[in-house]
Amino acid sequence: MENQENVHTTEPSDNNLNTVIANKLSYLQALQTAIQNQDDRKVYELLDQQRYDQEIRNNSEAQPTANAQLVADSHAELSHYLSEKLIDYLGHTYPFFYYDEFALGQFHIYFGNWWDRRLFGSLDVLNVAFNFDSDEFNKLQQTFELARSGKRLNSDKIDEISAESEQLQDLIDQQDERDAKKAALRSQMKENSQKSTMPWDSGKVKEERQQLIDQLSDLADEDERALNSNKTIKENDDRILALSKENTIMEYEKQSVEGTFGDFNKFQAHNQSLYVDYLNSLFGAGVKSND
Amino acid sequence: MTNDETQSKDVSTLTTSGRLTNYNNAIKSGLEKGISFTKLMDQLINTANPDELVSAATQLAGFRLNSDFVTFPHQYSNADYYLLFMSRLLELHDQGKQVILHSVPHREELSQQLTSLGDRGSFDFIMENNEGGGVFYEEQASGQRLFYLNLEKHMMRFNSHALTQLFIIDYRGDVPEQTIKTALQVLIDFGTYLKRDYGFSVDFNILDTANAQIYPVKDAQLSAEIVDKLFVSAAENGYMLQNTDRGRGAVLQLPDDVVVTVFDNQKDGTPEWAIAVNDPNQAVSWFDVILRYEFMRNWYLNNLGQLEIKSDPLMFT
Repeated sequence: MENQENVHTTEPSDNNLNTVIANKLSYLQALQTAIQNQDDRKVYELLDQQRYDQEIRNNSEAQPTANAQLVADSHAELSHYLSEKLIDYLGHTYPFFYYDEFALGQFHIYFGNWWDRRLFGSLDVLNVAFNFDSDEFNKLQQTFELARSGKRLNSDKIDEISAESEQLQDLIDQQDERDAKKAALRSQMKENSQKSTMPWDSGKVKEERQQLIDQLSDLADEDERALNSNKTIKENDDRILALSKENTIMEYEKQSVEGTFGDFNKFQAHNQSLYVDYLNSLFGAGVKSND
Repeated sequence: MTNDETQSKDVSTLTTSGRLTNYNNAIKSGLEKGISFTKLMDQLINTANPDELVSAATQLAGFRLNSDFVTFPHQYSNADYYLLFMSRLLELHDQGKQVILHSVPHREELSQQLTSLGDRGSFDFIMENNEGGGVFYEEQASGQRLFYLNLEKHMMRFNSHALTQLFIIDYRGDVPEQTIKTALQVLIDFGTYLKRDYGFSVDFNILDTANAQIYPVKDAQLSAEIVDKLFVSAAENGYMLQNTDRGRGAVLQLPDDVVVTVFDNQKDGTPEWAIAVNDPNQAVSWFDVILRYEFMRNWYLNNLGQLEIKSDPLMFT
């Protein structure tokens, strides 16, 4: 070609390039073999050599390898593939979590199989980790903390709202009483207005009259509140239901964690060591031999 | 000339003997009507053949005994023949002792008791108001109409509202569960015989124990809060309300492998919330569930406005 003379090259070593490509090929080859053999442990090793060396081989000087980048655009497929065994494992170790693959290789975690169970976070299959929703996780943690003092998450709020409803119910129940009082006050008013209007009495009569008017207006205020009470009580019932429901869910979650791990701290510890625990469980387990 | 004028002219022109003949014929036909009535009564009271039984009852149900020239002062109402029919059909199936037919002294009127309930209930049939030709089986004191029956159209429809009001709300407090079940079994058996012997179309509604039976609730778009309430009260009673595997809904596992499902039985994208009860022997109905479990009963009764199981809207509104 005519232009060839003008191209400046920096001693391209064909050998070097060959090595680079051979290295990549052998990486992909190894990955393919691992997947064909369903050797998920090996797949995890290839996907993150550094982490594998550090956490499984206890080699603190492990270096990152760039080859994992080669399959960066295949994470969804890899995640989908790896999820099968991982979820199987989690099914035994975390029997209360349920997974929904809402997109290829992406999983939502649901806590429990009870009515309106909570979406608790997502599963990071490639990194063997839970990404818990922090609000939901904090609620669970709080539930465990409160349980130590014999309380449930929403008990105080429920008590508070119940007390308000009780007061309002009293207000409604006392309507007859108030009606009787009002009738009595009105007849006193009538008496008052018929009283002597002698100048020396007028101040006293006026004062008495004002007192009666005040009392009547207080009662009218209570009537007004009683009228709105039914609505508030109904709203309170709805709030109590929502809070009781959450209490019930938290109780189920707490029982699930206790039933499997004993307490919250052990649950946490397991979450932290999930990668190591899972990969160790894969040693020698279920690897198809190469024919 | 109108027909009336023709007739009156005819009558007026008749000879005396002609008139007497007409009169005599009218009486004869009136008496013949009476005779055929007594034959039907014989048949209703005595036959051991189910087909003859229903045929007699169907004819008597619409029988007009009186004619212009012959009237009978002592007559039962047409609805009473249904009571007689019911007793006889049960009798033909050796269930005759499950009901007691009472006749009111000095009057031609029948009423019925369910043996197991005794004085707690008195039942009769009352005619449908319109021209439908059916009857309602009614508890007299409460006026609750437990089912609709139409011999002509071969149909029977149970009424969830009345069954709940009478047996769950009125009786449940002081009548033992087993007594209620025995009483209702008589009505269920009656329906079963109608179905088997005559091919009636029978809707057992909340009494239906078949697993395939789906009970749609009144509020087709049931709010999640109603299910939340069941979730909370089930938990308080040691039961966990679970998510259904498919679609929107909840499942409750009760003892003896009885499974209650509250779910959206969607049809073409339109929500239709319903309840279903499944058990290995297909022996448990929704009624049985609310009869037995207090928390289920309270949930149903407290939310009856939304949860009441629908009955056939043609007879029960």
